[in-house]
Amino acid sequence: MPRRISIRQSVMAADEKIANRLRRDLKDRGILMVNLIGSPGAGKTTLLESTLAGTDLRSAVIEGDIATSRDAERIARTGTQAVQINTHGGCHLEAHLVEKALEELALDKVDIVFIENVGNLVCPAEFDLGEDYKVAVCSLPEGPDKPLKYPHLFCEAGAVLLTKIDLNKHIPFDRELFWGDVSRLNPNAKKIEISATAGDGMQEWKALLSRWLGEKR
Amino acid sequence: MHELSLVKSIIDLLADHAEKNGWHRVSRVTLRIGRMRQVIPDVMKFSFSVAAEGTALEGAELEIIELPLAGRCRACGYAWEEELFSCPKCGSSDSEITHGMELDIDSVEVEDQDAPKDKHSPICNGGR
Repeated sequence: MPRRISIRQSVMAADEKIANRLRRDLKDRGILMVNLIGSPGAGKTTLLESTLAGTDLRSAVIEGDIATSRDAERIARTGTQAVQINTHGGCHLEAHLVEKALEELALDKVDIVFIENVGNLVCPAEFDLGEDYKVAVCSLPEGPDKPLKYPHLFCEAGAVLLTKIDLNKHIPFDRELFWGDVSRLNPNAKKIEISATAGDGMQEWKALLSRWLGEKR
Repeated sequence: MHELSLVKSIIDLLADHAEKNGWHRVSRVTLRIGRMRQVIPDVMKFSFSVAAEGTALEGAELEIIELPLAGRCRACGYAWEEELFSCPKCGSSDSEITHGMELDIDSVEVEDQDAPKDKHSPICNGGR
């Protein structure tokens, strides 16, 4: 006869354990880790390139993609150390992958580790990588209806960045709808409009990173 | 598409329990999954049936209890069970999600190890 046994355990227990361990280790070393999440083509790598250029903060980057090391190569050209994780079909990064990537980085002189997650608004929101903050990156051409269509990411995000705002001269965008929905989902998220190529909002974004780093130390 | 990696975690976790506790076979697994987890039950069940092959969970039935989104207003205390992210009563967006983020293994049904069929099996062959 089968017997019923109560388990009451989180499905993510194993990975959450790794994530919490990473967060503790990085806290001890005074390193901030930020997990960038957005659609393919939202401008995550371009945002990183602009962030890394002309900043005093010493950074390292973990790039997550299904295939190719193109993003890591782009980051390496800025003079920043970068590790590429290829998920081979996987639609998101997981903590054990980040743990391995961190081992490959020289972290002695690093202030911030950026993780660029696999381009996807759904699955990456589900997985704790040991980061201090998830950051939702949504570009203006994607349209203003995304926050309510993909609520989990926007609920979890410490900051929401609206990128490519320089394209607003060609593409209409209902800002009130977008930011209104973001505020309803997550009134505490920091909201920044950015053009990584023209420079708008970059100071505010870098100031936010400095503040987060200061709070961690 | 994150269902497959969730299923792998479930199987790893329960296979570990099975080994430690000597479960012969798991016949049923019950999960509690909140709406916000964006899990598609049919995809989950299919992934489970494939990934469980060759483990103590092979052939087990996967039951998913879906939990609706529920929230509570931090400003006025009103509680609701709808997909709302701001308070329908006072309009404040300072709300918290009280249900809908669950992703738990609730329980399993197991069959214990069969008694050894071979009476000469070396349960104790010491002293030779």
